[in-house]
Amino acid sequence: MSRAAPYGVAVGGVIGITAAIELISSLAPVQGLSALYLLFVLWLAARWGRGPAIAGSLVAFLLYDFFFVPPVGTFTVRGPAELLELVVLLAVALVTSQLAASLRRTHASAEALARESRALYELATEALRSPDVTVALSMLCRLATELRGVGRFALVAVDFGQPSALAGDPLTAEELKQAAWSHEKGRAVGIAVRDGAVKLMRTHPGATELVYLPLASGVAVIGIAGDRTEPDQLRMLAALIGLADLLLDRRRAALETERARSLESSDRLKTAILSSLSHELKSPIALLRTGLTALAAPQAGLQTDQRELLVDLDRQATRLDRMVGDLLALSRLEAGMELDKEAHDFADLVAGATRQLRTELAGNRIVVELPDDLPPVEVDEVQAGRVLANLLENAHEWSPPNGVIEVGAAPRGGVLEAWVENEGPPIATGDLDRVFDTFWTRRARGSGLGLAISKRVVEAHGGTIRVENRRGGPRFTFTFPLAQVSAVPNA
Amino acid sequence: MVDDEVEMQRALRTGLSYHDFDVHAVGSGEEAIREAAAWRPDVILLDLGLPGMDGFATLKALRPATRAGVIVVSVMPDEKDKVRALDAGADDYLVKPFGTEELVARIRAVLRRQADVTAGEPVIRSGDLEIDIGRRSVKVNGKTVKLTPTEYELLRYLALHAGKPVTHTTLLRQVWGDYAIGDKYNTRYVVAQIRKKLGDDPANPRYIVNEPGVGYRLEA
Repeated sequence: MSRAAPYGVAVGGVIGITAAIELISSLAPVQGLSALYLLFVLWLAARWGRGPAIAGSLVAFLLYDFFFVPPVGTFTVRGPAELLELVVLLAVALVTSQLAASLRRTHASAEALARESRALYELATEALRSPDVTVALSMLCRLATELRGVGRFALVAVDFGQPSALAGDPLTAEELKQAAWSHEKGRAVGIAVRDGAVKLMRTHPGATELVYLPLASGVAVIGIAGDRTEPDQLRMLAALIGLADLLLDRRRAALETERARSLESSDRLKTAILSSLSHELKSPIALLRTGLTALAAPQAGLQTDQRELLVDLDRQATRLDRMVGDLLALSRLEAGMELDKEAHDFADLVAGATRQLRTELAGNRIVVELPDDLPPVEVDEVQAGRVLANLLENAHEWSPPNGVIEVGAAPRGGVLEAWVENEGPPIATGDLDRVFDTFWTRRARGSGLGLAISKRVVEAHGGTIRVENRRGGPRFTFTFPLAQVSAVPNA
Repeated sequence: MVDDEVEMQRALRTGLSYHDFDVHAVGSGEEAIREAAAWRPDVILLDLGLPGMDGFATLKALRPATRAGVIVVSVMPDEKDKVRALDAGADDYLVKPFGTEELVARIRAVLRRQADVTAGEPVIRSGDLEIDIGRRSVKVNGKTVKLTPTEYELLRYLALHAGKPVTHTTLLRQVWGDYAIGDKYNTRYVVAQIRKKLGDDPANPRYIVNEPGVGYRLEA
C-alpha cells in the first residue's frame, strides 16, 4: 500500500461519515452524531498512526463546521460550545493516535524480537543437529545479510595459521589477507564489541565499507551499508557474531581432534609395521641360533673343528641379531617413540649395561667412579641403558687388550654429565663430528648405528653428547636431566 | 614347549635332549593347557606369540592348573610384556634369539628354585650373602647386617624368589601392601640402602641385580 493511501482512506471516510450524518439528521434529529467522527479518528489512529488520524480529524473538523455548525455553509465558528466541540475532536485524534502509535511500536518490536528468537533458535538447532558446522555458518551469514545496515557478511576460518573463506559472501584475496592480519594481531577494524554490544564505526555517513572482527578461531568480515543501523539490528548482529564465535571454535576443536587422531593412527601404523618387521626378521635368526647352539654342544657328538665352525656361525647370527635390533631401535627413535621417564640412579644404569655386556667386556677392566651423593636422573631406563651399552661396546672395540674403560659422572649446571673413556687411538679431528652420523663407522665390523642411536636417545632426553680426544684416549661425554625426587616415605 | 613353529620345536627338542631333558612340544595354547594337565611337566617353555589363544591368555589359564615353572619366550623385547608375563605368574622370561646354553641355565634355575621351595629351605644364599628366613637374620661373610623392617621385607621377598626377576609392582605390593602401588623410586631407594649395608657396589652389584625396565633379581 502506498504512503498516500491511508490519507485517502481518512479523507474518504470522513466524507462518507459526513454524508451519513446528513442522511440521519434529515430523517430524524439525533444529538451528538459528531461522535461518529471520533470513532473513525480513533480507528484511523490505531490503524495507521498519527498522520492519517490528524488529517482525518482536520477534514472532519472542517466538514462538520461547514455542514452542521451554524451558520451552515460557512467555516465560521460562532459560539464557544462549537469551538470546544472541534478542539475536542482534534485533541482526541492526537491523543489516541499517540497511544495507538506507541502500542503499535511495542507490538512491532515484540514481533521483531519473536522473529529474532525464532531465527536464532532455528540456527542453534541446525548447529546442534549437524556435526558439520558449515551449514549452520552459511545460515548464520544469510541471516546477518538480511539485517538492515549490513551489506555483506562473511566468516573466515584461520586453521593452523592459514586463512580461508568459510561461509557467507565471497571475499577477494586482499580482503582475506586483511582478515588474516586482523586475526593474527587480534585487532578489530571499524567495529567494537563490548559486553555483547556491537558498535560500528563509520568513517563517513552512508559509506559502504568492510569491518573486520577477530574471533577466537576466525574472523567476521562485515560490509556496512547505509548511514545508520537500528539498535535492534545491532543487537541481532551481536547475537549472530557471538554464535559464529562459538561455532568457529567448535569447528576448530573438531579439526584438532581429527588431526590428532590421524597423527595417532599413523604412529600406530608405524609401530605395527616395526613390530611385524621385528618378528619377521628375528624369528629366522632365533631358529638359526637355537639350532647352531644345540649342535655345538659336546653331547651332539660333533668333532672339535665342526663345533668351532658352528660357534663361528652362531657368532655371526648374534651379530646379525644385534644389527637388526639396532635398525629397529633407530627407526623407533625416528618415529618419535615415547620415553618412559622415571627417576633412576646412574649407577643402576651402568650396572645394567655392564651386566648386559659382561661376556664382551670380560677382557677389559671397567673402572666406574661415581660420587656417593650423585643425584638421580630422569630417564627412560631401557633407552638410557642402551646409550651406556653402546658407548661401552664402542669403547671395548677400540680398547687395546686388557685396556681400561673408565665411566664417570658428576652433576653440572642442573644436569648430570657422564662420560665413557677408553685407551684406544685418538679420533681424527675431522671425524669428531661425524662419529654420531647414521651408518658412519671407522671399521667394517660395526653396524655404524650404535653411536647414532646413543645421540638420538640423549637428545630425546633433552641432553647433548660429544666426543673429544683426551690424553688417555677418546672420551664420550653426554648429559641426562636430573630427577626431581621428593622425600622417600617409609624407608 | 609351546611354540607354533615346527622348526623351532625340532631345534629345541634336539638341543634340550643333549642336556637330558624330556621334551613334549605343542603348537597352541589350548593344547598346552590339555598337555600340562595330562603330562605334568616340570617346566613349561611358553612362546607369547601364539596363533589363536595368545601367550598371556594361555599363561593365565595354565597358572592355577599347574605347578610347573613357566619360562616365557618372546621375540619382542618389550619390557612391558616381560612385566606383564611375570605379574601373570611366569617364573622367568627369555628374549629370542637365545643360545641353548642360556636356556638350559634358566631351566635349571627354575628347577632348583622349585626344589628349594619343596624342601622348605630356611637359609638362602647368594654368594657370601646369607639370609636366614627362620631367624630373620642377614649375614655377609658371616657378619650380621642390621636392616630396617622395610629393607628386610624386600630382601626376604627377593630371597624367596632367588634367581627369578621380581617386578617393581610385585615388590611394592609385597613390601608396602596393596595401597602402595605407585612410585618405583621407593623400591630403588630401598635397594640402594640394602646394597650400601651389604657393602655392594651399585655400579657392579653381586647380590641384587637390576632387570632394566622390569625389576630386580637376587643372584642365586
